[in-house]
Amino acid sequence: MDSRTRVVVTGIGAVTSIGIGREPFWRHLLDGQSGIGKVESFDTSRYQVHVGGEVKAFAPEPYVTRLSPSQMGRGSQLAIAAARLALADSALDVGSLDPIRVGVSVGTTSGEPEWIERFNDRELAGERDRIGDEFLNRYPCHVLAAHVASELGFRGVNTVIPTACAAGNYALAHALDTIRSGDADIMLAGGSDAFSRITYTGFARLGAIAPERCQPFDKNRKGMIPGEGAAVLIIEPLERAARRGARIYAELAGYGLSCDASHMTAPQGDGAVRAMRSALQDAGLTADDISYVSAHGTGTPANDRVEAMAVKQAFGDRKVPISSIKSMLGHTMGAASAIEAAACALAVWDDQIPPTINLEQLDPECDLDCVPGRSRRIPVEAAMNNAYAFGGNNASVIFRKCR
Amino acid sequence: MPVAVPGVVITGAGLVSALGDRPSQVHGALCDGQTAFGPSVLLADHAGRYQVAEIRDFAPRNYFGQRNLRPLDRTGQLAAAGAELALADAGWPLEAREKQEVGLVIGTTFCSVRTIGEFDRRAMREGPGYASPLDFANTVINAAAGQVAIWHRLRGLNSTISSGAVSGLHAIGYAAQMIRSGRAATLLAGGAEELCFESFLGFLRTNLLCGFGDAETARPFDRRRSGCILGEGAGFLVLEAEEAARARGAKVIGRIGGFGAAYDSRQAMQEIGGANALAHAIGRALEADGPADVGAVMTSGSGHATLDAREAAAIRGALGSRVSNLPVTSIKGHLGETQGAGGALQTILMLESLRAKKLPAVGGLEQPDAGFGLDFVTGSPRPVAATAALVTAVAREGNACALVVSAC
Repeated sequence: MDSRTRVVVTGIGAVTSIGIGREPFWRHLLDGQSGIGKVESFDTSRYQVHVGGEVKAFAPEPYVTRLSPSQMGRGSQLAIAAARLALADSALDVGSLDPIRVGVSVGTTSGEPEWIERFNDRELAGERDRIGDEFLNRYPCHVLAAHVASELGFRGVNTVIPTACAAGNYALAHALDTIRSGDADIMLAGGSDAFSRITYTGFARLGAIAPERCQPFDKNRKGMIPGEGAAVLIIEPLERAARRGARIYAELAGYGLSCDASHMTAPQGDGAVRAMRSALQDAGLTADDISYVSAHGTGTPANDRVEAMAVKQAFGDRKVPISSIKSMLGHTMGAASAIEAAACALAVWDDQIPPTINLEQLDPECDLDCVPGRSRRIPVEAAMNNAYAFGGNNASVIFRKCR
Repeated sequence: MPVAVPGVVITGAGLVSALGDRPSQVHGALCDGQTAFGPSVLLADHAGRYQVAEIRDFAPRNYFGQRNLRPLDRTGQLAAAGAELALADAGWPLEAREKQEVGLVIGTTFCSVRTIGEFDRRAMREGPGYASPLDFANTVINAAAGQVAIWHRLRGLNSTISSGAVSGLHAIGYAAQMIRSGRAATLLAGGAEELCFESFLGFLRTNLLCGFGDAETARPFDRRRSGCILGEGAGFLVLEAEEAARARGAKVIGRIGGFGAAYDSRQAMQEIGGANALAHAIGRALEADGPADVGAVMTSGSGHATLDAREAAAIRGALGSRVSNLPVTSIKGHLGETQGAGGALQTILMLESLRAKKLPAVGGLEQPDAGFGLDFVTGSPRPVAATAALVTAVAREGNACALVVSAC
């Protein structure tokens, strides 16, 4: 293996508010289905907003079979489900794999927030004595990758990259390098975040949550909507995939990372441009080669304006089709860019791009081709997945057709 | 034509720890057998009679002058201070960082579970409208990475690695890989973790802390070991592509060699024998350089009954008969279990030991567990002539890492 080893996506598992599993996820994404509804996982009566993108149909039992689902948080359950779905989708013969050569790389924003929330509930109720070993055993975010690997029996490189809302892309980037450096034959890479009271509280306090709908790039957009979910992609060298006759969704062609280094929560734009340019260079492509951009597109006034500006800077006069699937799923935090990566790989494979729903009146400051309302069938030679995060983090990952 | 893989050199090191904020000073304290253990001021009555290894007189103003510290929580401040010292040591002034991208990789277990906990408790106690927007920005686990980037103008890749107690070592291995693959020329890499009530209570309720009787202390690899003492700190190395470092005329103090990482399931972690990810990681780390040159081992031994035994078994298993004249040490009997910072502090102090040609003894180790079959440094420091050493780390959740570091 070396720095030029071609690496491909051969399996996709997604656990989302609009579908569990690659096929329903993709079909509903193209249909423009919304996964937003009334929050049920905690009481929002003291909040001014009440909607979220919860995965209400999810039950861990079919997926978490070796470990006990009751011994872990929802973030791990979602991640394990996505990993099992991705493995099944890849048709890998798991029994024939050398466990030490299979690694796991998971991105997240909050890890397992329910366990610090429970810690706090006990503390506030004057029940500190009832805080037991579950807090340290189940809360720290590294449990996400540990639980996936323990459940599936994989012993290779194992890490959680908690780079907030760009984390899924960071995890995929790490998987690419880990395979190229020869440290693993197969990587399970993605992101997972469970619906979190802490995250909801924070965005509500910032006044960033929209009351009903998420409307990226719309002139009247009212904010983001917190969500949850997970996606895992099976990443392996092209040569290996070809040898076993695997279905190849797309080549993981390259990535770029950067940091604004100027504000924790307000995007600046220049870092996003640097990440896009560096991803293009890494993939050996130019902006003109990109057929589709999956936007970070949170639906907040600031993000979409700055992102549109950055995309215009990177792509010049050409209006590249760009959509935000957060219009359907809300913002699934650390899982978001992993789920969006799944959508990019599927777009490259299927030559269709998902729409931005709820987009009624395009903001003149975001005068891009935002694929409003309906999915589109176009040749998708290459897709760029953009993600931006708290901490000024920027990450762009590029998928292209594997020829 | 194969593309030449850049060598990774170390051009600076910085740390803040309970035994000082200069590598040579902390190394001296370790060699003198000092420990950082004592009653907690930070945790006040929460720690009871338990000892901790806290940075008692941490004075951020010593590092940052009059800049506004309010946006940084304790983890952020520790990380920013460690980064400041490392950048200064490497000769990377702000003006140079404005011109050229420097990136950052931080290993951490919690980032600040203090900030996360307080943010939520305040919202639950007083209502969500009373949550603090400023604190919300610090509830993400990459908050320290983001804050340090802002503080020091680090515009390159900005990553956080969480793999439990191996996080700091994992971050250094990850950063070295980024440089080798040509994705960065200069990276600050290390780890940070604060001591706080939340993590202390977690360790206490999981029976990971040693007791507080007269003879009870952190005793890595000792027959009487009964747990760790919780600590805190931050440490960073400045890693650079060798050519770039030479081109700017940097002082090269060391070099990163091979790195390996692997994982053992929760089930496997309960037993001393059987599958051992660290043995695999060590084998991988030594593939590039060969074991012949490695003249010492810096472990993550903290006083944990099973983990210390597993770490020893891995070293013995991977190095075979070579362990008979290979001195083995640990810093956690002096500095405590500093979680995400641990692997970074281990690497910095191993490098310092190679440079000073003196390996500190394992703090608290008086009766080495004979079954381990390793040559532990006990009592007083040991002269070490080698220029390269192995740094190992294991985490109770199953992660294991090994790294070869050498002095120039």
